[in-house]
Amino acid sequence: MTRRYTRYGLCALAILFVAIYLFPLYWMYVTAMKSGTEIFANPPTFWPRDLHWQVGEIWTRLQMDTYLKNSLIIAAGVTVIVCLCGTGCAYVLARVRNRWMDVVLFLVLMMQVLPSSLMITPIFVAFNQVGLMEYPRLSVVLAQAAKVLPLYIVLVRATFLQVPGELEEAALVDGNSRVGAFLTIIAPLARNGILVTGVLIFLQSFGEYVYARSLISQRPLQPATVGLQSFMGPNTSDWSGVMTYSAIYVTPILIIFVLLQRQIVSGLTSGALK
Amino acid sequence: MLRFRNTFTDGVGFDTVLVMLALGYLVVFSAYPLVYNIIMSFQEVDLFSLASFDRPFVGLDNYRDVLGRPEAWTIFLNTVKFVGISVAAQLTIGFGLAMFFQLDFPGNSWLRGLFLAGWIMPALVVGAVWSWILAGDFGVLNHALLSLGLTSERIFWLSDPDMALYSVIIANIWLGVPFNMILLSVGLAGIPEDIYEAAEMDGATRVQRFFTITLPMMRAQLGAVISLGTIFTLQQFDLFAALTQGGPSNASNVFQYWSWQLSFQYYEIGVGSVISVLMILFVILVAAIYVRSTRAEHVA
Repeated sequence: MTRRYTRYGLCALAILFVAIYLFPLYWMYVTAMKSGTEIFANPPTFWPRDLHWQVGEIWTRLQMDTYLKNSLIIAAGVTVIVCLCGTGCAYVLARVRNRWMDVVLFLVLMMQVLPSSLMITPIFVAFNQVGLMEYPRLSVVLAQAAKVLPLYIVLVRATFLQVPGELEEAALVDGNSRVGAFLTIIAPLARNGILVTGVLIFLQSFGEYVYARSLISQRPLQPATVGLQSFMGPNTSDWSGVMTYSAIYVTPILIIFVLLQRQIVSGLTSGALK
Repeated sequence: MLRFRNTFTDGVGFDTVLVMLALGYLVVFSAYPLVYNIIMSFQEVDLFSLASFDRPFVGLDNYRDVLGRPEAWTIFLNTVKFVGISVAAQLTIGFGLAMFFQLDFPGNSWLRGLFLAGWIMPALVVGAVWSWILAGDFGVLNHALLSLGLTSERIFWLSDPDMALYSVIIANIWLGVPFNMILLSVGLAGIPEDIYEAAEMDGATRVQRFFTITLPMMRAQLGAVISLGTIFTLQQFDLFAALTQGGPSNASNVFQYWSWQLSFQYYEIGVGSVISVLMILFVILVAAIYVRSTRAEHVA
């Protein structure tokens, strides 16, 4: 009997930990719903006295549709490039073991850790010289794809490792070519892992900041992160507006996260420790 | 001709093409900038010579220039503090939470997963939310500290030179805890239950079991988490942009932000790439240690 009570006690404690940890998210939503004067109330109110809904106003005043459209374009472009270039490489790295593949894997792991804020200097100069800066969004897509491609390869490789090699051998005996076996047998079996990793890459690029800030100077082409930063400025006092903007921006991300939570957790853990 | 085609559909050619597709992309967009960066660090690069390929080489001048600046030492110490405190705190909190969620109670794995909501958020948004929480006059953290009696006056987290770096560290710890916790949970789940039972029968206390079983069994995971934590912390840029911009007067500046400032705010691109080269070398060193240690673990 006491055992059961401790289990529920632990559960309550766990909920408390989660609540403390997620407080910043709660605070973002609550502030977004407060009026401009209520946010400066002392003591602060932990639930808005009267709901002050300004989603529509912020959306139109800051032209969030343009910002979010650019974020979507960048994230989609990166995801397409990464899936096209990375899936096959991840598969080969999972199947073939020899000295060359070890070298390739090592190189990929090294590329994974290069910080964007340090790579941007040479990328900026090089893109300038070849004229890529005429297409700033494309530049961001190309640079960000290089940043996340290694992560994609590592995570998807872990998925391919779980597909039994015998299935492929059986397909080859049945007269399939390697290409055929890969496309009809192996890739469909690894579909879930590829999908979840693709979503992760998409979300990461949806929140990309360094490259967009440094490579895109025209306002109509900037993504939502850069828009948020210029809205905040150095001395903002419109915190209700900033939090509304943030809430509009991250709510879709959080919804996707809740829907895919289990798969994201298992995908991350299998990839990072292999 | 047929044999030539067959290598691509069936043989080594198939593997090579697939690998080269990804590797080629990385060579063009990662490896080439990496090399170019090193070259630029020995050149004089400013706004005028940006587009030209023929820039004067200046030897080690850029290195001497930037490392001799008075702020370089402050920023170096800040970087060390930022990484050291962040990684230590993320690891401690993450390890504690991982052990807690390893206990058997209803909903444990689902509740643990909720922590990743923080990790999935764009770091710039996290920075925006924290700069509101940490605001000096109306921030909720100051309110909490005052009403709990932990401080007697408001702390101006973002504008006080003594606190600015710590406010970024706080936000960075918040971002890093979930990842640490999830990775350490995997390690904890891998320790066989019967070892603990045997130790318990031999009369080992909880503390003894932690130090003689948990810690040694977790060595590989801890190594991985510490090196990954260092790498991610050195990649952190967005929080600085959102919270302090490295200020006031470099009090919260770190190398990865400074390098960007030099290149994109002061247009001293040659000098910016010096910092970039040095930092990348350090990151690659940490990563190489990490890869080697996980490899060694697999062989053993």
